[in-house]
Amino acid sequence: MIKAHYKKSFSNFKLDAEFEIPASGITILFGPSGSGKSTLLNCIAGLENTDVAKLAINNDYYDNTELNIRASCPQRQFGYVFQDSRLFPHMTILRNLQYGFKRVKPHLQTFDINKLIKKFLLTDLLEQFPHQLSGGQKQRVALARSILSHPRLLILDEPMSALDYAAKQALYPYLEYIHKELSLPIIYVSHDLKEVLQLGDYVLIMDNGKIIDRGDLVDLCVTQPLLTQDEGSSFILQGVVTETDEQQCITTVQCQSHILLLSGKLLEIKQPVRILVHAKDVSISLTPVNDSSILNILKTTISKINAPENGKQLIELKIGETKLVSTLSIRSVNQLNLKPGLDVYAQIKATATIR
Amino acid sequence: MSSLELDPIFITLKLAAITTIVLLIIGTPLAWWLANSKTRYKTPIEAIVALPLVLPPTVLGFYMLIALSPDGFIGKFWSLFSDERLTFSFIGLVIGSVIYSLPFVVQPLQAGFENVGKPLQQAAATLGAKPFEIFFTIILPLSYRAFFVAISLGFAHTVGEFGVVLMIGGNIPGLTKVLSITIYDHVEALEYSIAHIYSAALLVFSFVILLITYTANRKLSIRL
Repeated sequence: MIKAHYKKSFSNFKLDAEFEIPASGITILFGPSGSGKSTLLNCIAGLENTDVAKLAINNDYYDNTELNIRASCPQRQFGYVFQDSRLFPHMTILRNLQYGFKRVKPHLQTFDINKLIKKFLLTDLLEQFPHQLSGGQKQRVALARSILSHPRLLILDEPMSALDYAAKQALYPYLEYIHKELSLPIIYVSHDLKEVLQLGDYVLIMDNGKIIDRGDLVDLCVTQPLLTQDEGSSFILQGVVTETDEQQCITTVQCQSHILLLSGKLLEIKQPVRILVHAKDVSISLTPVNDSSILNILKTTISKINAPENGKQLIELKIGETKLVSTLSIRSVNQLNLKPGLDVYAQIKATATIR
Repeated sequence: MSSLELDPIFITLKLAAITTIVLLIIGTPLAWWLANSKTRYKTPIEAIVALPLVLPPTVLGFYMLIALSPDGFIGKFWSLFSDERLTFSFIGLVIGSVIYSLPFVVQPLQAGFENVGKPLQQAAATLGAKPFEIFFTIILPLSYRAFFVAISLGFAHTVGEFGVVLMIGGNIPGLTKVLSITIYDHVEALEYSIAHIYSAALLVFSFVILLITYTANRKLSIRL
């Protein structure tokens, strides 16, 4: 576990963020701009003086105001990739990459710099200077540079926000690589829901200097409106692509015991996917409908009906262990006489996100 | 006193060179501190550093004369180590010049350090670099233009010094008699032809130094 608590007062802003997150996987730090995300990251990295500071990773303390513990930024060995890549302009790419690497004691170096350079496709850039690189290349170098410093924790502050769509797509595989191949806890700040779905395991929601919610991404999509923004309550189905139909542009995804069909862009077979479904895109019928335009009709059981809000009710459904939600009008709930325990058919309009 | 002497030229160059070296040693940490400090003492100290820019050299020279005299606070301290007097000595001149030219070295360095900025220093720190490593690997290479400007301005300004030298160094041939004072002497003696030679030399020298500084500054800035 990573346990942290930071407090700091500014003239117009108060940071008081306390949280616990798993010491592995990607934790997304999500929140509106000005909510204090970057300040919190700087506190964690040891770049900011604070009034109260507590940080422990698996019971190793990096900050503890009470015990008078405060590791300096270089002592912490936390990698930090910034929005602006912050490559050193007077050094070649190779020297940038070596900067953190050569400060790691040789017996603690667990991977080979040359292998990583190949893995990140940087071989042809080594003799160039940062100003000769594109934005996407710079961020790739920045990522590789921070990994080479053998960090105990990797902090990514919107590393893709300055990149265009194509450059973002090109950077994903490297983030995936770091996530899957290196057992390294990552704190990732993002505004972009698509990025969150693609990369997140755990989520911290921050607002006005405080952590207001936290949990697994899959759970938090249902309950945290800030995360899904205008779309309201949503849920995630995880599965693997099993079949593609080029003619009709249909991808078949196996999600545990059930099958979903996605229309639109074809995905690759065996590709793991996360499918985000908004509760407002799920309708319910008591009998299986055969003459609907909706592709996916799943047999589910109602597990809970929430109290009405603005004329709508959130219905929680279950297929085995998988949770679904649907937003219906009070009128529909009454008309269909929906009750917990009742078996119903959910019609789902789904959009997929690659994972 | 009617022939061309070379001693004042050597003394002037020696004084400027030593002063510049001392200023780099003192001015670099001072500029670094000013560029990074957030304390409320920063602004008054900046003002004190800038004082020689506006004070008449005679005022500065007068206070230096008092401080350097055997009863002054610098002079008393000095007498613990040496029997020689500071006033009317070459070392006294160096101390006076260091203070006189301080802003010409500290201000460009401070601006250069501030120009490198926090972001790159933070990035270096997260990669495991300690503060002094950051200084030598990031700050120094990225602010060498500032050092170039500081060195040339500090040197040229010391060469051009008159009032402070006159007040604390006097006019001892072969010891404290610098170029600017030599010119003054020749003018006083109505030996304009010799004054012309020295003055023209000083004018050309100063112009060349500034020309080199500005040209190099522009060329270097294009390269970065």
